[in-house]
Amino acid sequence: MNRPVVFPDTRNLFVLFAGLLSVPAIASADPISTRGATLAYACAACHGPDGRSQGAIPPLDRLSPEHFREAMHAFRTGGRQGTVMNRIAKGLSDTDIEAVTAYFASVEQSQQE
Amino acid sequence: MALFTRRQFFSLAGSLPFAGALTRQVRANTRARVVVVGGGFGGATCAKYLRRADPRLEITLVTPQRQFITCPFSNAALAGLRDVASLTYTYQTLQERYGVQVVYTEATGLDPATQCLTLTDGKTLAYDKLVLSPGVELPWGAIEGYDVVASEVFPHAWQAGSQTLLLRRQLEAMEDGGLVVISAPETPYRCPPGPYERASLIAHYLKTYKPKSKVLLLDAKDSFTKDKLFLAAWKRLYPGLIEWVPGAQGGRVIQVDAGAGIVRTEFDEYKPAVANVIAPQHAAAIARTGGLDEGKGWCSVKGSTFESTVHTNVHIIGDAAIGNPMPKSAFSANNQAKVCAAAIVAQLRGKPIAQPALMNTCYSLVAPDYGISITAVYHVENDTIRVAPGSSGTSPLDAPDTTRALEAAYARSWYANITADTFG
Repeated sequence: MNRPVVFPDTRNLFVLFAGLLSVPAIASADPISTRGATLAYACAACHGPDGRSQGAIPPLDRLSPEHFREAMHAFRTGGRQGTVMNRIAKGLSDTDIEAVTAYFASVEQSQQE
Repeated sequence: MALFTRRQFFSLAGSLPFAGALTRQVRANTRARVVVVGGGFGGATCAKYLRRADPRLEITLVTPQRQFITCPFSNAALAGLRDVASLTYTYQTLQERYGVQVVYTEATGLDPATQCLTLTDGKTLAYDKLVLSPGVELPWGAIEGYDVVASEVFPHAWQAGSQTLLLRRQLEAMEDGGLVVISAPETPYRCPPGPYERASLIAHYLKTYKPKSKVLLLDAKDSFTKDKLFLAAWKRLYPGLIEWVPGAQGGRVIQVDAGAGIVRTEFDEYKPAVANVIAPQHAAAIARTGGLDEGKGWCSVKGSTFESTVHTNVHIIGDAAIGNPMPKSAFSANNQAKVCAAAIVAQLRGKPIAQPALMNTCYSLVAPDYGISITAVYHVENDTIRVAPGSSGTSPLDAPDTTRALEAAYARSWYANITADTFG
């Protein structure tokens, strides 16, 4: 996890995508019916509301989308050893990982605005 | 030539079956009324996430108590590792921040045809959508002699609060060398690993303060969740202090005589210093009205919406629902509440329902610095819930102490986070 990871283009894409996704949030309602939101809400039970964790469980709200996506893939392949996360990641598809990554990116973006 | 004029079309539309759907959508654009019954991990979470999804909904939470004391970590309270005050929550944030109207009473009746809920005082609440998350009841008499009076002698402590405090006082008052009997019921019941975490943490208390005492765990079952992990940990942490008697070896408790202080199994009779009778359970009464449970004691639901398979516009979440293979846990209730809230908002708006994300993680403390977990992710196909391949499993049997300590810290962090997610 210490090796440098370079994503030259995706960061800008994420900011753009996050900006699009955050529109419903500005209208004071969550995009609750999206797959990304429903996955992120499941994460919240352990990682705290919108990923703001108290205590030992790592928070998700401070992770960059790149870091989050890479961690999820690494948990799924076993390249990174966790406790429960290896099993949970095996239950998620590539599409799921992209959806939940985009949701957390949108939360991060809306908090910065 | 057009088949219909505009006026003819709308006149016809009014008489078609989808007119009901149109009416619901119109109401969604005004203020649809959603009533949630039960203020635990299912109900409180559902009310909060309904509001997060739709600022216009009229949301009413019906719950009997002004304070909610959580079952998660109540075993730590029994062992003196936490006080009950630290497990107590109110609905203040739900009311003030999320605009949920909270009514402190019990729901006693339900008319699915007129979509009306009856409350203890005889008042009625009309709903467009109803969510039932009332939890469990322990029907008196399921174990012969175990009634409300007996529960004051042999507490179940399976609904946290006065029962938890009673069992704690009994453990504190017990002399060193006493026998503590815990009876565990047949599946299904609330919190499958709960009796085994309880045996562990009571043993931790006894080992520390009353080391000549013993825990006898009388079980109606022959196996239980995380059993290999629990049994290995007991052997190491509490040698000779916990004895587990499976059902096949006469572990099933069939009768209690609280007056004489006796607990009976099929083969034996015990006179313990303290007895914790975790009796069999079923869904709380409101979820068994109107045929919702079809006589099964628990309610069948559609996996994508948690809507009853018996009555439309009635959703059931948490322990009262048959969410198999999801366990009856606080995590499941909190998770099902969010899936249910998303489905309700989509249905009221006439929008498609997102593929639900269902998960569960249950941590158990075997000792304050020794945690173990079980996890699964679930997929829903045609409203049937299935375990996602590869996602189900427990902590490894051969994990080092550092992993056990980490999972114990995660258990405490999970508790802080899920209660913030539910009540904060």
